[in-house]
Amino acid sequence: MTTHPMKRVTVICEALAREPVLRLLTDAGSHGWTLWEVQGSGTWGVRTADIPEFANIQVEVILQPTTAERLMERLAAELFPKFAMVAYETEIRVLRPKKF
Amino acid sequence: MLTELLPALAANLLSPAVLFFILGVIATVVGSDLRFPEPLYLGLTIYLLVAIGFKGGVALSDAGLARVWLPGLAAMALGALIPLWLFPVLRYVGRLPAVDAAAISAHYGSVSAVTFIAATNYLRQVGQPFPEYASAFLAVMEAPAILVGVVLGKVAGPRTEAVGPVLRRSLHEAITGRSVLLLVGALIAGWATGKKGGDATAGFFVTPFQGVLALFLLEMGLVAARRFADLRRVGAFLVVFGIAAPLLNACLGILLARWVGLGPGGGTLMAVLAASASYIAAPAAMRLSLPEANPTLYLTSSLAITFPFNITLGLPLYFELARQFCPSTP
Repeated sequence: MTTHPMKRVTVICEALAREPVLRLLTDAGSHGWTLWEVQGSGTWGVRTADIPEFANIQVEVILQPTTAERLMERLAAELFPKFAMVAYETEIRVLRPKKF
Repeated sequence: MLTELLPALAANLLSPAVLFFILGVIATVVGSDLRFPEPLYLGLTIYLLVAIGFKGGVALSDAGLARVWLPGLAAMALGALIPLWLFPVLRYVGRLPAVDAAAISAHYGSVSAVTFIAATNYLRQVGQPFPEYASAFLAVMEAPAILVGVVLGKVAGPRTEAVGPVLRRSLHEAITGRSVLLLVGALIAGWATGKKGGDATAGFFVTPFQGVLALFLLEMGLVAARRFADLRRVGAFLVVFGIAAPLLNACLGILLARWVGLGPGGGTLMAVLAASASYIAAPAAMRLSLPEANPTLYLTSSLAITFPFNITLGLPLYFELARQFCPSTP
């Protein structure tokens, strides 16, 4: 079985950043995303997630390495100053590189 | 007036809704594991907004638009004006950064639907008739203050982007947000179906209403008390502001209600609309339109100070003021 190197970018941020993050993902060349609600705490305090607007979300996308780099740069420049957010990338291997 | 205020206070503090609110606060303070699942919170808010909107719409079809447009316009104007006087107070007396002053003033001009719903519940409990169609005022008062706050923040704060697109986005958010959408939609449905629709749905929208509200206020007690820890971070000025601003705004609301000819019931509701601070629509709009503003400041003052104050002590106080200054119309 042949697998191909790809990058997975994970963004964990306040739920109110949902639309700006998804807009940026599409803009940076992502063809899809997965999103779910999470709880946690960090430098901005505890996110209790008792009210949907006060929750955290986690968004994951699989991208070509060059697109992933572009996305990380734009996240840092455009959204980090405005929202409670962390983002990281991981090396992964996929079966069908054309999908991404 | 004091002799009348004490029984009014007791009537509110000993109502099921407020007792459950206090239970929620206690549960959080003692570190209980009580938590409402998020879908239940959403479900309860949808029920309350639809029920209050629908009943308002039915009342609107009975009262006719001719009686509603003037107080409705007055409510909108009030929402837009409140941030304009709060902004300089926060900026120059509280010495807050311009964006924070703008964001907080937007919260206090905008409204809290739950506070309004609790007020209607209180009036029903003390046997004071009130115009049910006042939920239309609730619907039109949410957006104007948010827009004024965004403009204030963009004009007085650091210029990061053009005002036009931000304002358009905020307007879209404010109008399509779930509270305004549900309220306006239910108002129209109630107005279109009239008394027949009201009777048909009374078993669901009217009878269980008090119980649902009590359950919801239990959750709000939990939510508000979780933010008590942040009180130390916002400073004494905002704590005082969180109580003084609703009191003064309530007086403005009562003066306006008197001017447009609302009685004690309508006057109380107008005072509550003026006094309440948004904690859902306004924070969401501020995070997107004024992201530089510090959310701890506006969330803590509106949710951990003003909301509990209004629910417990504010309501009976505004009712007594309205009884003094808004004469019943024959």
